[in-house]
Amino acid sequence: MIKKYIIKKELNMEFRNNTSLFLITPTMCVLIIVFPILSENRFRVENDIFLIVELLLLIIFTTLFSIRNPLKEQKLIKELNFGSIKKVDYFYSKTFSELIIFYPQIIILLILFSGFTNTSLNSSLLHICLSILFFCLNATMINLFFQIFTTFSNRFVQFTLIVPIYIGFAILIAPLWLGVNQEISNIYLLMFLGITMVIYSFTNFYLRK
Amino acid sequence: MSLFFESDNLTLGYGNQLVIKNLDISLNFSKNYEITGRNGSGKTTLIMCISNNFIGNTFNSNIHRKNTTLMEISSSPSLVPELSLLENFKYFLFNDNINDSMIFNVLDKYGLGSFKTDLVGDFSSGMIKRSEIAIADLKNPKVLCIDEPKVYLDENGVDLLLNLITKREKEGNTSILSSQESIGAFKSIERTINLND
Repeated sequence: MIKKYIIKKELNMEFRNNTSLFLITPTMCVLIIVFPILSENRFRVENDIFLIVELLLLIIFTTLFSIRNPLKEQKLIKELNFGSIKKVDYFYSKTFSELIIFYPQIIILLILFSGFTNTSLNSSLLHICLSILFFCLNATMINLFFQIFTTFSNRFVQFTLIVPIYIGFAILIAPLWLGVNQEISNIYLLMFLGITMVIYSFTNFYLRK
Repeated sequence: MSLFFESDNLTLGYGNQLVIKNLDISLNFSKNYEITGRNGSGKTTLIMCISNNFIGNTFNSNIHRKNTTLMEISSSPSLVPELSLLENFKYFLFNDNINDSMIFNVLDKYGLGSFKTDLVGDFSSGMIKRSEIAIADLKNPKVLCIDEPKVYLDENGVDLLLNLITKREKEGNTSILSSQESIGAFKSIERTINLND
């Protein structure tokens, strides 16, 4: 299902377009550096505002990343038919390649935010990494689903529909980052895993149909 | 005879605007077809529908198609502009059992050998079309649809295309050409679909 040539192509395109690496990530970094100085006039923010702002930055970054390079349905279908590439192969390979591009950037962004605000998350590193992984995976699949299988070709419409879904995913992350106890963290992680599986199954069903 | 595309009363359009109305069409494997018609008669729309690239309104037309290897070369490129020519070849041929030496031979045959590391985004329309024909030559699909076959190609390019069509005819593969008038590329044609009628 995951084809290395599709992943290679997507990574090459990303590297040559440099939209996320040279445009979105620096913009977000500037926001991260400027934010604590603007809000509190120092390189530190209070714990209660830290989490909200971090989630907000995560949503902004994910949204910018999602709408950075919209897929054109006609062009994509032509390309897939020209190479006799199955939609299902393209979808999963593209999801995987987006994850490769997206996941490390988010981790770097969160580390930078923690660094510049002199604040840290309260939960374990494993929980944070897993929650971001689930968030990235879900966000990527939802974004691709909207782009490939719906006629919402307009960036604004995509933005309007995608942001509330990302907010929903971010709400699931919030308790994990707040540092609730081990048992509750595990429940939330399992919930996130369940949601990921539902989205995966739904997409799979839709693709096969 | 084995059909790969069939439709009675095929109606196609964009929005509520009809482009093709009530066309009966059945296409067989191992036969050649031509689609002719003046500008705006629906040649491109029809060839896109046959090659499964049509995004528009089919007005609930009954379309039956058989699963087969099918490629379309049209006036808008299918190649990925951000990739080099060689990367494009490898990307579009990864499903087929084709090694590097076969790719290099075809690149040389089509006069593209010296451009293999150049980005396709920097290519002219003629070079892109030549590259797509080269990929079609390697891929050798059961059905090859070409919209406006001679457009963008120079004399040598047209010769290469005609050679490919002749080769496909000998191998018993189907080619469908769409242009304003017949270009006389086939030895035998099953049907000429004239959209002016």
